[in-house]
Amino acid sequence: MASTKAKPRKTAKQSESELGPDDLPSQAAPADEGSQAAPPADEPSSARDEGEAKPVDVKPADDAADDDATKDSAADDSAAEDEAAEGSVAASSADDSSTDEEPSDSTADDSAADEDAADEAESAPAKAEPKKAEAKEAKPKKEEAKPPVKAKADHGGHGGHHGADGAGGGGADHGPAGENIRLGEAGGTLLKVGAGLAVVGLGGAAALGASMNDGFTQFFHSYLVAFWWGLTITLGALFFVLVQHLTKARWSPVVRRVAEILASNSVAFALLALVIIVPVMLGNTALYDWNDPEVVAKSHLIHHKVGYLNTTFFLIRWVIYFAIWIGFGVTLLKRSVAQDASGDPSISKKNFALSAPGMLLFGLSITFASIDTIMSLEAEWFSTMFGVYIFAGAQLSFHCVLALSLFFLQGTGRLTKSVSVHHFHDIGKMMFAFVVFWAYIAFSQFMLIWYADIPEETVWFKSRFEDGWQTVSIIQLVGHFVIPFFGLVSRHVKRHKKALAFWAVYLLAMHYIDLYWLIMPSFDGKQAPWHAMDLLALIGVAGVMIANFGRVASGINLRPTKDPRLAKSLAFENF
Amino acid sequence: MTTAADVKQFHTPLEAENAFAQITENVCRIAETPKPPKAWYIAFAIASSIMVMFFASIGYLVWEGIGVWGNMNPVYWAFDITNFVFWVGIGHAGTLISAVLYLFRQDWRTGINRFAEAMTIFAVICAAIFPGIHIGRPWLPYWMFPIPNQMDMWPQFRSPLEWDVFAVGTYATVSILFWYMGMIPDLATLRDRSRSTARRLVYGLFSMGWRGSSRQWHRYEKAYQLLAALATPLVLSVHSVVSFDFATSQVPGWHTTIFPPYFVAGAIFGGFAMVVVLAVPARQFFGLKRMITMRHLENMNIIMLVTGTVVGYAYGMEFFIAWYGGVQEEGFAFINRAFGPYAWAYWTMLTCNVLGPQLFWFKRFRRSIPVMFVIAIFVNVGMWFERFVIIVTSLSRDFLPGSWGYFVPTPIDLTTLIGSFGLFFTLFLLFCRFLPMVAMAEVKAIHYNHHMHHHH
Repeated sequence: MASTKAKPRKTAKQSESELGPDDLPSQAAPADEGSQAAPPADEPSSARDEGEAKPVDVKPADDAADDDATKDSAADDSAAEDEAAEGSVAASSADDSSTDEEPSDSTADDSAADEDAADEAESAPAKAEPKKAEAKEAKPKKEEAKPPVKAKADHGGHGGHHGADGAGGGGADHGPAGENIRLGEAGGTLLKVGAGLAVVGLGGAAALGASMNDGFTQFFHSYLVAFWWGLTITLGALFFVLVQHLTKARWSPVVRRVAEILASNSVAFALLALVIIVPVMLGNTALYDWNDPEVVAKSHLIHHKVGYLNTTFFLIRWVIYFAIWIGFGVTLLKRSVAQDASGDPSISKKNFALSAPGMLLFGLSITFASIDTIMSLEAEWFSTMFGVYIFAGAQLSFHCVLALSLFFLQGTGRLTKSVSVHHFHDIGKMMFAFVVFWAYIAFSQFMLIWYADIPEETVWFKSRFEDGWQTVSIIQLVGHFVIPFFGLVSRHVKRHKKALAFWAVYLLAMHYIDLYWLIMPSFDGKQAPWHAMDLLALIGVAGVMIANFGRVASGINLRPTKDPRLAKSLAFENF
Repeated sequence: MTTAADVKQFHTPLEAENAFAQITENVCRIAETPKPPKAWYIAFAIASSIMVMFFASIGYLVWEGIGVWGNMNPVYWAFDITNFVFWVGIGHAGTLISAVLYLFRQDWRTGINRFAEAMTIFAVICAAIFPGIHIGRPWLPYWMFPIPNQMDMWPQFRSPLEWDVFAVGTYATVSILFWYMGMIPDLATLRDRSRSTARRLVYGLFSMGWRGSSRQWHRYEKAYQLLAALATPLVLSVHSVVSFDFATSQVPGWHTTIFPPYFVAGAIFGGFAMVVVLAVPARQFFGLKRMITMRHLENMNIIMLVTGTVVGYAYGMEFFIAWYGGVQEEGFAFINRAFGPYAWAYWTMLTCNVLGPQLFWFKRFRRSIPVMFVIAIFVNVGMWFERFVIIVTSLSRDFLPGSWGYFVPTPIDLTTLIGSFGLFFTLFLLFCRFLPMVAMAEVKAIHYNHHMHHHH
């Protein structure tokens, strides 16, 4: 028994090397090193079974421990390995006095590992009966055991627990048995519905725009709002994925794939962006004054910015932005999908390494993209906070879409076992956090400009605090902060699906109004020019996102099946 | 956190449960040994001498007046406010570790939170002194508070300086509460281990009758969680309000909207650097390497890398918008920073804050004690210079070239700055000597979860 299971443990060890989970032996060593060395042989089965078969059925204590994964840096790997080695070897050598920095630290470092050891110990207490002799044997056993277990893993895991591979494509699913993790037919439906919405929405908006005879000015503004609404969600998804890799988060793997798919919408947005970029290249001035040589000649301030605000550089920048967003978004999705097939844990490490530069480039690209297309609508105005403001909205709206996507998938019988109320609770916390963060940034930006009262800055708020825009500004304050703050503060709401879904929809609407408030005053400073085109463009962009989601998701799993941290994510509990 | 290593350290084959005893022993013996290590005496002698210099400088200042500083027209704020912002910033790491990391379920924080919270409080004490002595009539600092009085005189509520009084006051209060409440179970442990009546009485008094019953623990955990949730906004608010002191003005180089998050990131950055500076020697001299491990240090270095990069982003945005905005004075302020008479301060800041921490991209450097110690000190220097650059450079050359000036610190400026470190380290050393440096109960809880939970 122990020997058959030994191998998965080995696999698990490799795969989870960065989690350091299995480096158990020396951990618990205080008591009796021998006893510690033994469990390794049994661990995989026990840990896995526990995690997978009844994901929620793990002591709360564990996830508290789990979550330090977030900071569990790569550095621990080597330590972990040392330990593993130490564990099996040193188990016999009683005196392993680690006096110098490294080894001693590594022992303590892997607190993450500890609780795995504990897991094992619990599920197989009897087997773990400490005897040094056994400990010595543990290692050889593991090696022997390799072949059979490998075969077993290929056939769908331990004792048929992981039956989802039929649907999973590419071998065993390490997630709960019998869960539907494929979009299947629905993918095609989403594609069709989305495409239909896109055609109706964008086509309708364009047709209306043409009928207005205003040089598409209203259309471009309506479109820009909708475009940014979708783009912020997409970029929020990309940031989320980068952060999860970078922090090696353990709570999120079950929801990460959905985020990865959402992030890959950047491909569609590269096409949608053409509607903005091409006219600018052709000298259209419906959106941007700085593209009008006459205005530039008259305005000293805008003239000053020509080095940055010119069509060539504009194009170059947008090519770079999309290269970054598509490059990182698609690469991370592809790698994640590849891991479903190969189960190769080194992919997680590579993603970790890739996410660090990804984060830097993300920060710069979202900042300058927002300056280019939103801030420069009123080309004379400026605020150093602007990129952060857009980032806050991106994160907020993404988490809303993440929750809604998961509700949709669960409502259609997918991801029903892996994604639990605990995950929704965390997503709800993030929504709440970004409601507050958005308010913090929005208030700071406003208050500082209001207080200093410098005309070249206040002009931007002036147009938003007069005439019809006053109402929208108040809606921003109350609707984007006060109401959702009290709405989401309760734990009950975050764990109640319908309530959370309501707030997600509500906040997405508020996010739209936020962008509307940023963009539209440059079109009509007197009043909020609500128009059917706004709605049509929004429907169109949302349709594109839905269609692309269906297209991308139909061929792949809706959650990772062999992510090294999957078991942790399944077992995640929240309070 | 504390595991096999603790045992190995003492070469005692213990039962697993006894690891708890080992944790208690390791932490308590620091406060219980009749004599601390020699290094402590040396450090205390140095620190307390410097502290004496600090109070002597302040005494001289009160006697003679603000003129003993280099503050001049137009640089009315100089070392005083620089030091204030610097110390408040240092104080951010504690709350971040105890509140924010708690909410993010980062339980590695238990090894360092007590320590960092203590540091926070001492830093806030240092910070609070500066506005007090800078007001010119240091015997009237209570005028900063809205106390009803016969003169019917009130502070200016519309001034960010007044908001500062409340922000820092709240922060200090909550930090102390958080620190003290977290320490109660550990104080009770010290009480129970006391051999002398005096110790038993003092620790007994401050442990407030803690008996460790499950009801007490239940309430304690609840209270801790609530305090963490309440303290989290403070991590953002305090330094945001401090940044308002500058950003609400119209002074070029001060008025920029990114200041609040940028100051917060900078504060966390500097705070963590200070924690590393303190933790490295403390774990060495007090034998706490098993509790404050390389992993803790490495994680702190990663946080420094992240926040340092955010600060770098803010520097960059300021520069970009200074050009993009096209406001002449603003553009000049930044050119002046980089190439004016204070360029040396600017480049010191940039090197220490932005370039230095980039070494932490590499695991080798993140895990190297000498490297992190040096970089952490650099970061502290850099963060002090950041405030100096913002405050002094901007004031020294504002709108009217006719009123430009060049601030030169006097010896009293320097002794006051250096002296504040004396106060800080003195308090810290006393803390190390008499209070539990590591949150024993919390470390045990983690230890329990990791090792023992499943046996029961």
